[in-house]
Amino acid sequence: MTRSRRPDPRRPARRRRRSLRSLRGASLLRLRIGFVLIAMVVSVFAVRLFELQGLDAKAYAARAQAEGLVHITLPAKRGTVTDRNGVPLAESVNGEMVVADPTLTAKHAPAIATILAHRLHLDYFDMLERLQAPNTQFQYLARRVPAADARGVVKAIDAQGFAGVTTRRDPIRDYPAHDVAANIVGFMNDQNQPGDGEELVFDSWLTGKNGRATYTESGGNRIPLGDNSVIPPKPGRDLTLTIDRDVQWYAQRALADAVRGSNADSGSAVVMDTHTGQLLALADYPTYDPNAFTAADPDNLGSRAVRDVYEPGSVEKVLTTSALIDAGKVTPRTKIVVPPFVRSSDRIIHDDVAHGTWHLTLTGVLAKSSNIGTVLADRQFKPRQLYDYLRKFGLGEPTNLGINGESAGVLPSWRGWRQINQDNIAFGQGVAVSAVQMAAAVNTIANGGVYVSPSIVKGRAVTSDGRVVGSATQSRHRVISAKAAKEEAKMMVAVTGDGGTGPMAAIPGYLVAGKTGTAERVNQQCHCYDGTHTVSFIGFAPADKPRFLVYVVVQHPRNGGFGGNTAGPVFRRVMTYLLQKYGVPPTGARPPKTPLEW
Amino acid sequence: MSSSVTPARSRVPRLAEAAVARARLTVVPRHTNRATRVPFLALVSLLLVGGVAGLLLFNTSLQQASFTATALEQRANMLDAKAQALQMQLARLQAPQRLAERAKHLGMVPPSNPAFLRLSDGAVLGKPQPAGTTEDFRITPPPVGKPADLRPAPIVVTVPPSTGDTTPGSPDEHASAGRKKADQHTQPQGSAH
Repeated sequence: MTRSRRPDPRRPARRRRRSLRSLRGASLLRLRIGFVLIAMVVSVFAVRLFELQGLDAKAYAARAQAEGLVHITLPAKRGTVTDRNGVPLAESVNGEMVVADPTLTAKHAPAIATILAHRLHLDYFDMLERLQAPNTQFQYLARRVPAADARGVVKAIDAQGFAGVTTRRDPIRDYPAHDVAANIVGFMNDQNQPGDGEELVFDSWLTGKNGRATYTESGGNRIPLGDNSVIPPKPGRDLTLTIDRDVQWYAQRALADAVRGSNADSGSAVVMDTHTGQLLALADYPTYDPNAFTAADPDNLGSRAVRDVYEPGSVEKVLTTSALIDAGKVTPRTKIVVPPFVRSSDRIIHDDVAHGTWHLTLTGVLAKSSNIGTVLADRQFKPRQLYDYLRKFGLGEPTNLGINGESAGVLPSWRGWRQINQDNIAFGQGVAVSAVQMAAAVNTIANGGVYVSPSIVKGRAVTSDGRVVGSATQSRHRVISAKAAKEEAKMMVAVTGDGGTGPMAAIPGYLVAGKTGTAERVNQQCHCYDGTHTVSFIGFAPADKPRFLVYVVVQHPRNGGFGGNTAGPVFRRVMTYLLQKYGVPPTGARPPKTPLEW
Repeated sequence: MSSSVTPARSRVPRLAEAAVARARLTVVPRHTNRATRVPFLALVSLLLVGGVAGLLLFNTSLQQASFTATALEQRANMLDAKAQALQMQLARLQAPQRLAERAKHLGMVPPSNPAFLRLSDGAVLGKPQPAGTTEDFRITPPPVGKPADLRPAPIVVTVPPSTGDTTPGSPDEHASAGRKKADQHTQPQGSAH
């Protein structure tokens, strides 16, 4: 037993070696091992196949498809804002921004800056600084560059072998006439969002719908039989204003000259087609250039002519006297004794010029703009009668022009009127209007007694908040009889004649109906009359067959001017231009011979 | 076994050997139509080669068309951009301000009074007056006032008075120092513009 236990160091080893050798020799075994190995490898493949095809096949398929698939947005062109003749006031142009990666451009900055300065008229030193800006990979070089110029300059830079200057889409909203009608049109800010004016009010109207294109691409070229789908962009709709750009320009410059000449705060001018109520110009001064809106004073944005309300003063007498004539209370020849002053409640009402007792006809009262005469005539009205007439003239409610920030004006209810309230309102104090409101009200006289709601959008357009506005939606209603309107127009001719307050508004050869206004202004701080004035002139021509109405308002002239000599000349210039531009010859009628005094 | 059969067979007398031989059915040698296969093969291979080549050519031409389309599209985009830029330039040239300034430069003035000539009878409507300078008014808008944020107070750099010992050295050095001073002065002004 001990012997058998004793291991022979040689024999077993020899046997094992022999058996191994025999095993290796067995082809069957070799085959089996091979099969197992192959099966293992194949099962690895099978698992991977199942993973790819079975578990998230869709995701992989999508990824495979996305390889080389290009999605681009086709930007829709924003609608153009044009004047009544189709001349663009705001239009969109393909633009690009030129940007630099200073980590790439710093080395060749002077050479690149030279190209930029030459081709895009940029400041060389500014460019140099931007191209070498430290610790950044993004610098604006120029924004809102026309696409052709931007690509041209990048091509030129690339051609020199410099890298790091690229372009990106940056649409341009161009205002070719600069400040002309800027108060109406508004501007687009640098984020390409509407900032003010019609751009803001009609944003949804002007904005188009972006399109989409999807295609497979390789090396910058479309693969012909690959995926390819295009949804074309839907461009925004155009907006046509009733403004005539040339008239607007002329009115703006004539107004600016008067405001600067009289060292006034601001001014507005409204030009209206008497029959249609369409505004041919709506000028404000000071204004701004929408191409450089960042430099504009925020106070100058928007339109003062619709936004600011003020007490109209004597211009209102046109409404009061025409209402009195319509009601049959007076005639142009009604004789009125005008004392030096008149008591009203606990106040005393004076005229602008101190005088003794005047013996004036109603025409004389209007021509000389007598507050006292107007008050005495108006006292034949009960408060409600005057109030109703003024409401029908459109006072106290917005005109729904389609301009943002429009004011309704202030016409206090007749129920609370004391004697002094009615007397004040009769000559235009204690009531507040916007320039457009007042123009539309007096236009009723020019239009034969029918009020036409003013419009600034030609045809019809829908604002972003869903209001339908435009000349196609305007309303008309009769306020006074045609006869009363004619008589009032005749009385207004006396204003620009001898003995009237507005001879500087007269146009030789034409009958011009007008009315001056000089009103006391309310100070916003103290809520009191602070001795400053609002001067204005409103009128239409030819008086016997009116075509145009022009209203000019100047706020706080510091040269002691009044309506006749500050706003009157602006009226004459603009009206002269209108009559000549639209070819309106004089009617040849003689001025009415209604006496002013008796 | 085979050894037992062979002798039995050999025992059969050979009678009418020729008739037997005639009656024995033998496999008729197949009549092979030796019509040539070459045209068919040629046709098939021609179709195959033609098809492949055609497909290749078609693909190539499609690809070529795609290149052309891309190039033309880029060109159209470029031309469109150019047209828009020119349109913009034209609109700016047509702006009333520019036209008025040019007209004024030529000595033209606004009419002082509208008057018309009726062609049918030569009558003058209105009161014609010679255009004078009375109607002339400023047409250039004043420089736009900038908001306070964009009007930084000018930065005044006081340059220390040059000490006497700085002898005029090399002209280059002097010039560069002068330029540096000028830069310091102009920079704040430049940013205010």
